[in-house]
Amino acid sequence: MAVASRTPLPGAHGMGERIVDALLSGRGIWPAVPAIIVLTVVAVIPFVILLSLGFSDIEVSRGAIASRTFSLEYIANALTDPLYWTTFQRSMTLALTTTALCVFFGYPVAYLYLVGGRWTKRLILVLTIAPLLTSGIVRTYAWLVILGGRGVVNSTLMGLGLIDQPLRIMNTHWAVLIGMVQIHLPVMILPLIAVMSRHDTRLMEAAANLGASHLGTLRTVIMPLSVPGIGTGAALVFTLSYTTFVVPQLLGGGNYLNAATMIYEQVVYSLEWSKGSVSSMILMVTCLIVLVAIALVTNHFTRWTQGRDA
Amino acid sequence: MMQGPSGPATIVATTSPVLRIGGVFKRFGAVTVLDNCSLDVAEGEIVTLLGPSGCGKTTLLRCIAGFWEADGGSITIDGQDMARVPVNRRPVGVVFQSYALFPHLTVARNVGYALRMQGMAQAEAERRVAAALETVSLVGLEHRYPAQLSGGQQQRVAIARVLVMEPRVLLLDEPFNALDAKLRGTMQVELRQLIKSLGLTSIFVTHDQEEALTMSDRIAVMRGGRIEQADSPNEIFDRPATAYVADFIGSSNFWPAQVVDGQVALPDGQSVASALQGPVRVMARPHNLQIAPPSAGPWTGKIVFQRPVGPLIETHVETDGGGVVKVVAMRRESERAFAHEALVSLHIVSPALCAVYPD
Ligand SMILES: Nc1ncnc2c1ncn2[C@@H]1O[C@H](COP(=O)(O)OP(=O)(O)OP(=O)(O)O)[C@@H](O)[C@H]1O
Ligand SMILES: [Mg+2]
Repeated sequence: MAVASRTPLPGAHGMGERIVDALLSGRGIWPAVPAIIVLTVVAVIPFVILLSLGFSDIEVSRGAIASRTFSLEYIANALTDPLYWTTFQRSMTLALTTTALCVFFGYPVAYLYLVGGRWTKRLILVLTIAPLLTSGIVRTYAWLVILGGRGVVNSTLMGLGLIDQPLRIMNTHWAVLIGMVQIHLPVMILPLIAVMSRHDTRLMEAAANLGASHLGTLRTVIMPLSVPGIGTGAALVFTLSYTTFVVPQLLGGGNYLNAATMIYEQVVYSLEWSKGSVSSMILMVTCLIVLVAIALVTNHFTRWTQGRDA
Repeated sequence: MMQGPSGPATIVATTSPVLRIGGVFKRFGAVTVLDNCSLDVAEGEIVTLLGPSGCGKTTLLRCIAGFWEADGGSITIDGQDMARVPVNRRPVGVVFQSYALFPHLTVARNVGYALRMQGMAQAEAERRVAAALETVSLVGLEHRYPAQLSGGQQQRVAIARVLVMEPRVLLLDEPFNALDAKLRGTMQVELRQLIKSLGLTSIFVTHDQEEALTMSDRIAVMRGGRIEQADSPNEIFDRPATAYVADFIGSSNFWPAQVVDGQVALPDGQSVASALQGPVRVMARPHNLQIAPPSAGPWTGKIVFQRPVGPLIETHVETDGGGVVKVVAMRRESERAFAHEALVSLHIVSPALCAVYPD
């Protein structure tokens, strides 16, 4: 059954019908039109407003903009201010380290899921998904209990006589890093599992049949095929950890400044919305650069998925 | 019908078998999938496993390849017990039904995979890959990925990929299933010639009789996890060892009878010798029966169905004793003289070719 007619007779249909026709035609950009409208309202317009703030000198009073004039001052300041430089560098290092550690710890879990029996699979799935069902704030607070001065880690180490004074873990960047990895690990593991469970188990059998050891199969078959999963997971973990606010705020003890906490302070405490806008733009642009880099690397390693280009 | 050796004795007796499957058991929980399964495969022989779905063909192959461990019995290759040999050390090559080509590797790298895993020097590996691609006529496609190949080409890659490692035993699980009927026919002949020219000892799985008859030196008919009969295609067809095999291969007519003094009386008045006792079932192939005018013999009936099958004509006769008998004859004027519902008599052409099975 044809969806109306793809080429309506001129004059035979009204304007409305022609639009519906075009939307249902499945051709060109038309099917994307509803999504484009929604995105314009919820993403593009707020983004333009945000952008405009960064180019303005504004005065905020009672939570609203009292006056604004065009200005490049904030952009120029941000690009020369060493505080921005060190803060974004810290955020970037933290996010990249978190991403790398999530790959490092997440991959073996996903591999175990792939080769494990029914109960191993279930256990891994439950342990991966359960944390996602609790709030990130609650999970972060749990680390306070574990890493704190009288927390589980310190009391165990002291109980074993390995240290005689509690280690200061809380409120250091180590605490932040540990929390970041734990919070974001499921986001790495799930795409990996999703991609790996699409693998044809016959491929692994074929590899073994052709003489590959377990390690050989992992290196030559499983890893190359799971690159898309690593890419997706890395992109998600990076985006989330680069822009995260809760973990550094709670585990860093309020004095760990990363991009998100800086923006929070600029917007909420010092009411410097223009500064906040510029910071957000830098955050977004740098984040996009890394995402593009991840995508390029992923594509490079998955050339075989791309059509008939031999 | 084909050039293979004519009888099983000439194949099995001469040399000791390359592959020996001795009383293998395989259970999944309470279900016994392989039940005391035994089969010997001689050097360079192609044996087809033929049987209904679920009879354990794939399971047997997987046990030979080592993907699964047998629960009992032994599998030896060249006299060496495979029980403790891991999958990647077995001299066995598997061509999977779905081919299982590595999608991220080019044709050349797929074919060279086994050699890289052996750590063979690159120059030598490349030479062998080129030779294997030549063997399966895939030269020029080295740098394609599997997704850029047709089904038939993918199958050739899968075959070349196991050929380079020079396996002692080649296992093929329904390798033609993914191909269309026409390509299937040509690939069957090509593959048989290739395997024969390389002298590879092979087990081939199918549930297509025609394919089995085309491909094999011997056919092993499987039933419920064991091998019912393993013989040359002609032997299986002409002298099925059990009623099950007779029923499974080709079409057949059965009727009950009694052994009296070592003789079974056939309904048309002739008789056939049998060493069995008491009640039996007699089997005659449709082409071993003939139709004649009703007055010609004591076994009479009425034609209930007739259809042309290529150069043959198939006639169903409802006998006076009840039951329908199938008759196949060349399309000659005389055979077509019998109209629908005509009364006829039936004759057995060669009583010696009637098989007698215990009831
Ligand atoms: N992993 C498994 N767990 C439990 N039962 C299994 C498993 N694999 C196979 N079976 C059972 O073993 C029996 C034989 O299976 P197998 O795949 O060997 O049959 P087959 O002869 O290859 O059939 P087909 O012609 O359909 O491929 C089937 O009854 C099947 O249900
Ligand atoms: Mg099967």
